[in-house]
Amino acid sequence: MLSLRALLTIIPIAALTVAVPLVNRVEPRILGLPFVFFWILAWTLLVPAFIWGIGRTERHW
Amino acid sequence: MNHPAMVALGIVAVVVGGTLAFALSSVRRFTMDPQQYIVGGRSFGTIFLWVLMAGEIYTSFTFLGLAGWAYGMGAPTYYVLAYGPIGYLIGYFTLPRIWRIAKARGLLTGADFFADRYASPTLGLFTGCVHFVLLVPYVTLQLSGLQTLLRIAGYGAIDATAAVGGAFVAIALFTFFAGLRGTAWASIVKDAFVLGGVVFAGIAIPLQFFGSPAAMIDQVLRAHPHWLTLAPGTAPHGAVWYASTVLLTAIGYFMGPQSFNAAYSSRSENTLRRNAMYLPIYNVMLTLVFFAGLAALLVAPGLSGPAVDQSFLLVVQRYYPPWVLGCIAAAGSLAALIPATALLLAAAGVFTKNVLGTFGIATSDASRTLATRVLVVVVALLALILWIVFPSTLVGLLLVYYNGITQFAPAVVAALFWRRVTLWGAASGLLAGLLLVIVLSAGNVPLLGLNAGFVALAVNAVTLVAVSLCTPRRALQNEGPP
Repeated sequence: MLSLRALLTIIPIAALTVAVPLVNRVEPRILGLPFVFFWILAWTLLVPAFIWGIGRTERHW
Repeated sequence: MNHPAMVALGIVAVVVGGTLAFALSSVRRFTMDPQQYIVGGRSFGTIFLWVLMAGEIYTSFTFLGLAGWAYGMGAPTYYVLAYGPIGYLIGYFTLPRIWRIAKARGLLTGADFFADRYASPTLGLFTGCVHFVLLVPYVTLQLSGLQTLLRIAGYGAIDATAAVGGAFVAIALFTFFAGLRGTAWASIVKDAFVLGGVVFAGIAIPLQFFGSPAAMIDQVLRAHPHWLTLAPGTAPHGAVWYASTVLLTAIGYFMGPQSFNAAYSSRSENTLRRNAMYLPIYNVMLTLVFFAGLAALLVAPGLSGPAVDQSFLLVVQRYYPPWVLGCIAAAGSLAALIPATALLLAAAGVFTKNVLGTFGIATSDASRTLATRVLVVVVALLALILWIVFPSTLVGLLLVYYNGITQFAPAVVAALFWRRVTLWGAASGLLAGLLLVIVLSAGNVPLLGLNAGFVALAVNAVTLVAVSLCTPRRALQNEGPP
């Protein structure tokens, strides 16, 4: 069983690497962006939230 | 010189000169010992460090190269957007530990970390030499970025070579006096200009030519239906290449010698953790550069070869007044020059501390600061000579730089997280990785679509583990984080 901290680390890495070929599509377009472009941009913005979460599990803030 | 060129180049000169003067006046009150000069006295808070790190990471090559890839390649450009956030996620775990060790043991350079953790000045010397050899062409690369910018801002009317040489002498002198703290102050201005330039290029240009960024993407897809999706599987620059390149580049993200200096300059461990959290936000700007490249693809099609890197600058030159071009070129010039100051400082610091220092030369504080300062100027001249003598081999060298730097990652990660690692394990992994990088870069062997550096990194890590397990675990002299 993976710890919460490990999950918070692995999920964004997987989302931006191995998951990208699975979402490698133009449709559905979101905010005018091809889906794969939107996916990468969205995860870029989510990474700070994941790092914040990791910091919480380690009690740094 | 014609009138538009004078306006554009005048703006560039005033902005660059003003930035350097501002940064110099901000550091005047600090006395420079090696700690202050090379790692800013280990005193930078969250915002200052954020600006410094963003200032070093996002160079002119990031902007020109990224727009050029969007123009010339399309979807493979996604890798540039994706590796940063993963790099920060990894940095969240590694940088605070590196900082803690550096603070306790008084480390000044990236090579110091290897010498100290593996209790081997020889490994420090070797790392120092490799870092130095990799840094000089990276500085040179900033010179050719600057040349592209100045040539366009001069509307072809000036000899950019002389201007680049002049600008470079100026930043060498600037770095001589200002040190890392000066780089951080200059980065504040650089980031402001780059933000303005990127918003203009990525939002204003698409709005004016197409009505909206979304409408621009419609047009791109109509003209090139597969431009914004990756080729499947193991095709060149396809999905496998994408995933392996993102991972490789993210692992190497903070392995550059200048990144060690930036990490050491932090005030505390938590400052570095917060930075890792905030830095991905800066990465969103890269999306706008991607847009600028796409806009250029539609507005000024038909460029090929190295000219694609100039694509969106040519759009600005052709359709906007000289002062707009001047502001954009000024932002780009700062993005070339300010990271170059950090690179000069890292190269000079590593040579003083790990090469001269290993042979017992310049070991007192005063002589070490002086030697580093003089070497800053020497490295700048070396880079300039390299640029004049071998202008065309640069891009090849950059690939070697990044793949080479990344080979240091297994030894760093093992030193931080794996107590069973030995000096022989780390050294043989590193050697195997570096040799493979050189062989694979020279031979251009296709490896199931994988990035060549990724293969070298895997061999490196396996060698490190295998050799470590086979060699006796000598208690490292500097056991554990103190």
